[in-house]
Amino acid sequence: MKISNILGSLMHLYIDEIDPGDATDAPEFLIKATAKILKQKGGRNWIPVIVKETGEDRYQVISNSFVYAVAEEAGLERVWCIIADDNDDTTTLTKILAGEEKPKINLSTASRDEVMAALQYLIEQPNSELKSVKLAVATNRIDEAPRQYWKNFEPITSLKCGITKGKKLDAIKSVFYLTPQSMPDTINDVTILRTMTTVELKAIAKKRGIAGITKMKKDALIEALS
Amino acid sequence: MNAPATTLQAALQSLPQGASEAIVSAHFSPQFLQALGFDSNEVVPEYDTNGGGIVDKAARKTIGNDIFLHTKSNPYLLLELKGKDINLTEGTPAYLKTVNQLKRQLLGSNCKSAKWGIITNSSHVQLFRKHGKVIFPATQCLALEVNNVDKVVAEIRKKIEETSRALTVTIYNNKGGVGKTTTTVNLAGILTFLGKKVLVIDFDFNQQDLTSALGIPVSDGLVKKALTDKNVDLKSAVVPYKFSNKKLQLSFDIIPADNELANDSEAELRTIIKRSILDKKLDFARQDYDYILIDSSPNWRFITQVAVYAADVILIPTKHNNLFSLENAAKAIQKFIPEIQAAKEDGNPIALPIFLNGEKITQPQLEVAQQAINNIIVNAKKEGFNLRPYFYPKYTTAKKDLHIHQVPSYANIANAAFSRIPAVYRDRSAHDYYKDLAKEYFLQ
Repeated sequence: MKISNILGSLMHLYIDEIDPGDATDAPEFLIKATAKILKQKGGRNWIPVIVKETGEDRYQVISNSFVYAVAEEAGLERVWCIIADDNDDTTTLTKILAGEEKPKINLSTASRDEVMAALQYLIEQPNSELKSVKLAVATNRIDEAPRQYWKNFEPITSLKCGITKGKKLDAIKSVFYLTPQSMPDTINDVTILRTMTTVELKAIAKKRGIAGITKMKKDALIEALS
Repeated sequence: MNAPATTLQAALQSLPQGASEAIVSAHFSPQFLQALGFDSNEVVPEYDTNGGGIVDKAARKTIGNDIFLHTKSNPYLLLELKGKDINLTEGTPAYLKTVNQLKRQLLGSNCKSAKWGIITNSSHVQLFRKHGKVIFPATQCLALEVNNVDKVVAEIRKKIEETSRALTVTIYNNKGGVGKTTTTVNLAGILTFLGKKVLVIDFDFNQQDLTSALGIPVSDGLVKKALTDKNVDLKSAVVPYKFSNKKLQLSFDIIPADNELANDSEAELRTIIKRSILDKKLDFARQDYDYILIDSSPNWRFITQVAVYAADVILIPTKHNNLFSLENAAKAIQKFIPEIQAAKEDGNPIALPIFLNGEKITQPQLEVAQQAINNIIVNAKKEGFNLRPYFYPKYTTAKKDLHIHQVPSYANIANAAFSRIPAVYRDRSAHDYYKDLAKEYFLQ
């Protein structure tokens, strides 16, 4: 049976009642050294572990798993925890708040400033894959592209802003997600048409009943469609 | 004391000592907004700026059937109220906090249309202008009393009813060779590309770099005549710069450098023109252009002061590898610009945050520059001046963000002068860098 009135409260739980969940990937040194300091400085984990209730006197860590690992290493019998609900959104949120996961923003709708901040973050990471990317150039080109229609991140690689397929594009995927709008039936915006391939343009031209498609080059197709 | 003559005076007198914000809001703000020309159905209380928090009052005149109280769209003016118990004297912590609050509100995404913001606690009032992303004072922080309230409010009303279309930006650094002219030309180029109407003024008569960079003939006394003869309009000195290629046809206007002014000595100049002359003479342009960019000469000479006096805001390019350019930027912000503010008596010009112009910066070089800046900030703090927002605009008490805007320069940008074409029209990367500068500093 679930006791909902303990949600959000700070509780001193037995460590053997807590399942570690996703274990921390912190290095051994940090865990051992922190555990030692924890013991020296009073043995109370002032920063609580965030757990959810999985059954009668059963809990699972959802974030601050580093603190859990330290408490275990220090041999604490009981550890201070905050009980969160078992909603998946809560798990995601607490992991992000604890800095264990990176937040993602929606590239389909993000403002220019948001795009810029995300790219700046990626570029400034130590050993960043995107070290050679020029922030101002990449921001402008991504911001001005018809990203509201992008179904995946591939179009970024054709913006000539130094982001190529592979590790660089993977880095982009780590901070952005997409919720694409469907393409309008009749596109006559030149900037959008220009991002499409000649094959796609020919397909649209065919639907619209434009004659002489086979011999047309991309520029001519764009002109005919716009 | 005589019986109060006007509703505003009566409202002000009715307020008890230390009146709270709620009392100021109920007993002063309706009369205040009325006196500024807004009826009750043109004011929305507790307006959500969407991104900048809730502002106490937002106002806009009715346009046709579009009554602001009903549609709540496109506010024109925001009013942030405080109680009399909050001290809004310029420079106090409460004042700075309130100004920052108003700035955030004005930048909210529901307030893109807003042109003006006001802070008041009924003892003090200050008007701010918003132009794109730029927010600057349009009056000093004025003390309100029964015997001046009508006059002050009438002045504010006059300003908000004659909103000028243009933002006047003077590009200045006391140190030479930091890329003032390159910045001016390319900013003009990119703003024009983005559909803005731009006037550029070459106010560096000795170097005349801007004029020659665009292949425009130097003026032979025409500008001098316009500045010294009250019957001659400065408009007569305007020359168009036209650019066209296969895809683009663009043009912006220039007032070129003047040879005769270059020959005059400092002492001679002071006898024939006043420091406020350019500011006055530019009135013709303030409704015709979106941006007026003034390229000023280095050093704090008289002619530089004339250029700074005419500005709403000052854009200061610096170089990361030139300590003097950073120190001089600090000096301008701390000393020279306030000097002009005091003379002008309407709270402006103010400095925009500096940016780093020039060669590509490596991480160790950036750290050296940051160390130098930190020293400058610490020294200014000892003199009671907070330079941090001008160097680290993103730094807050909760977030030590030390990013400074950078515009890299490289051969293609520097050499553009030889071709008489702004680099932003010739080089795709230059185009992106200056578009970034324009969007970061000016465009919302």
